[in-house]
Amino acid sequence: MHAHSFSPESAGPRRACVLGLAAASTVLGTWEMHRLLSVRGTTAPEVVLVALFTLCFGWIALSFWTAVAGFLQLAVGGRMPGLRWPTAEEESTRLTSRTSVVMPIHNEDPAAVFANVQATYESVAATGHLESFDFYVLSDSTRPEAWVAEELAWADLCRRVGGQGRIFYRRRTDNTGKKAGNLQDFCERWGRHYDFTVVLDADSLMDGRTLVKMARLMELNPRTGIIQAPPLCVGRSTLFARLQQFAGRVYGPVVAAGAAAWQLGESNYWGHNAIIRTEAFIEHCGLPVLPGQQPFGGHILSHDFVEAALMRRAGYTVWLVPELGGSFEQPPPNLLAYAQRDRRWCQGNLQHLSLVMAGGLHPISRGHFLMGVMSYVASPLWLLFLLAGLVAALHDGWLSLTHLPEQAAGLGFDSDGALRLFSVSMGMLFAPKVLGLTLALARGQDAVRMGGRARLVASVLVESVLASLLAPVMMLFQSHFVFGTLLGYRVTWSSQQREDADLPWSEAARRHAVHTAFGVALAVGAFLLSPGLLAWLSPVVAGLLLSIPLSVFTARASLGLWAERMGLFLMPEETEPPAVLSRAREVTEEHAVAPVADAVDHVLTDARAHALHLALLESQPGLETAPVALASARQKLLGGVTEPLSAPEKTAVLLDAGTLAEARERRLSRALS
Amino acid sequence: MPTSRPSVPPSTWVRPETCAAMDTFFHGFGFTAREDLDVLAAWVLEGSTAHREEPRAALSLARARMEQWFSKALGQELEGSLLARGRAAFVLCDGARLGARALTREPLSQDFARMLRAAVPVPAPVQVASVMPEQQLVLWPFGEVLRRWWRGAQADVSISG
Repeated sequence: MHAHSFSPESAGPRRACVLGLAAASTVLGTWEMHRLLSVRGTTAPEVVLVALFTLCFGWIALSFWTAVAGFLQLAVGGRMPGLRWPTAEEESTRLTSRTSVVMPIHNEDPAAVFANVQATYESVAATGHLESFDFYVLSDSTRPEAWVAEELAWADLCRRVGGQGRIFYRRRTDNTGKKAGNLQDFCERWGRHYDFTVVLDADSLMDGRTLVKMARLMELNPRTGIIQAPPLCVGRSTLFARLQQFAGRVYGPVVAAGAAAWQLGESNYWGHNAIIRTEAFIEHCGLPVLPGQQPFGGHILSHDFVEAALMRRAGYTVWLVPELGGSFEQPPPNLLAYAQRDRRWCQGNLQHLSLVMAGGLHPISRGHFLMGVMSYVASPLWLLFLLAGLVAALHDGWLSLTHLPEQAAGLGFDSDGALRLFSVSMGMLFAPKVLGLTLALARGQDAVRMGGRARLVASVLVESVLASLLAPVMMLFQSHFVFGTLLGYRVTWSSQQREDADLPWSEAARRHAVHTAFGVALAVGAFLLSPGLLAWLSPVVAGLLLSIPLSVFTARASLGLWAERMGLFLMPEETEPPAVLSRAREVTEEHAVAPVADAVDHVLTDARAHALHLALLESQPGLETAPVALASARQKLLGGVTEPLSAPEKTAVLLDAGTLAEARERRLSRALS
Repeated sequence: MPTSRPSVPPSTWVRPETCAAMDTFFHGFGFTAREDLDVLAAWVLEGSTAHREEPRAALSLARARMEQWFSKALGQELEGSLLARGRAAFVLCDGARLGARALTREPLSQDFARMLRAAVPVPAPVQVASVMPEQQLVLWPFGEVLRRWWRGAQADVSISG
């Protein structure tokens, strides 16, 4: 099948524009940098510096021109070419397809997970198309307490909405392949029941109208393999999260529209809040296990990019459709949680390096792999660029204890040119913010719902300052992850922190001690070389020196809520929340799930938990339990040993209906006698 | 010597260990009131001689009685154990709040039966087994051309092989 058969005719010119302008900007920037550095000849450190500059500037230029394309797309209006949208008449007809909505979870808070499922379920029901959808919660939870709490929460949800037979719950005992393996297991067991599958994340929330629209688009576009609805971050209260939410709401649409505008049918899949053509996915997206050891070998960690590339290789298009709306997720609550998530994603994205040259892939799919790599490698490149700049300056004699920057002009250095290049770089870096703000200000209604024009501008300014201070910290975090991954650092998969709890000072101090020390070293080193140089580096140094208090204060929900009261970082989705968001919050508050302190004890003492757990066990025949753990658990439970059960023992008991029934019978007999 | 007289508490005519087994069994359905447990034990053992036997025989009788009741109440063939899933449904819709009459009443309340049927846990639909074939990716096609040229007709292999 011809690789380009699905992109509309305008794809070529659009890509030539964005990629060509990004390339041209990079060439010009590099040429200027080379000119600035080579007035006294080119030294080896300067060659390295120019090479690093080229990579960093190229990355900024691509983001800049993508944002410009998005701005134009949004300003001019109109839909992206390529997808056939339903007519008014088609929109009023019944869906002819069946869609599963699947939510893979792993040791999450069941109250939040099932509240989101309920809100999404009710939202679909309100569209009148519920009979076309089934819902699955696919648990990979390893903590016995999470497992039992999920079962109870699922049963409660089904009772509340009458969802038995339409909302399903399955727990895997073997977590092979992690999230991708979880989805594969679903596809291999139940996938063939459905034409399409909507993949959600544990914190995803989707409007029913969006789900119906996505299913209809899939019906009308039979060669479409995946449609991604970019999720909007909502629902958190910490200052850090509110900054993320605000940035995603103001600048995100420009970036997403820009990416969609030039990537068209070769867009990317982000792993959740997307609909996939199930049969094509089953046939063509089974992930290979890469040869060799981690970090590049083994199971593919960031499965979404690879699945999108495989789908495209099989001749199906992948679309990013920002105008769908109604797609939500939650951001991490604080900087450390954000970094923890990045650590996982970093290894996954770096692993894609080994796939860039793989046979048969569309060039844009290769581009996605490289862009994913660059989103993390840009940090160490920036760090190396800073360090190489110092080395080159020292080497070339631009800076020394006797040559201050202001004296550099006397040595032939073009200070004005350097300032101009710096200004252009910063302008390109901040352009998406300015373009997003311009659009929001132009749309009066949006501006009003974001606190009014003055507060909106103030919010953008404060967000930009804070983001600039946080950027050097993330640079060091991500550099550490990249170097660590390359040196064989193993990533463990643990659930993200999804609560708005305050961050203790001790934890922040422990995590940011190295960043602070690096900031001190950089400040001292720069000052010793030249006080003027310290002024140039002050944004980086300030961010690093303030990393501990920044991390602690931005993690506070009290500050986030204070900002909200002040009308800062407001989103339209907060001032006039969509029904599905309000409903999810209501359900979370009304139906809080009581925590399960001890899973086995709960199943043995609570008649509801016991009956439900045994019924679910019996509906999954053939589950295997670890014989050694079960034997020792039985000794403790039935043999009168008072020692508490270990986690593996609890899991073994919870998988064995006979032991559970026997232990409960004994407990009851003791209690009744 | 115990006698078969369901109108009086079973503890007076059933062996104590059999009575305890019955109590434990119906606790699993959420019944905790003494009078309910007595009525239910009598309901199970009425007209049988199991109470003269071991508690195990009485429990078998109780299980059979409940399975019969569930097959009548749920009116459907359930996959897996009827007793386990029926009991879960009964507990989830808090059938015990109606007292022993929830089980002994004839005919069964249609509203309750409907509620019970809606509460039967269905963790997943019937499976349609299929296989997601592992995709083959040649990570370095140019190297692959060289390999084929060098090693002749070696078969393609999955990269995970």
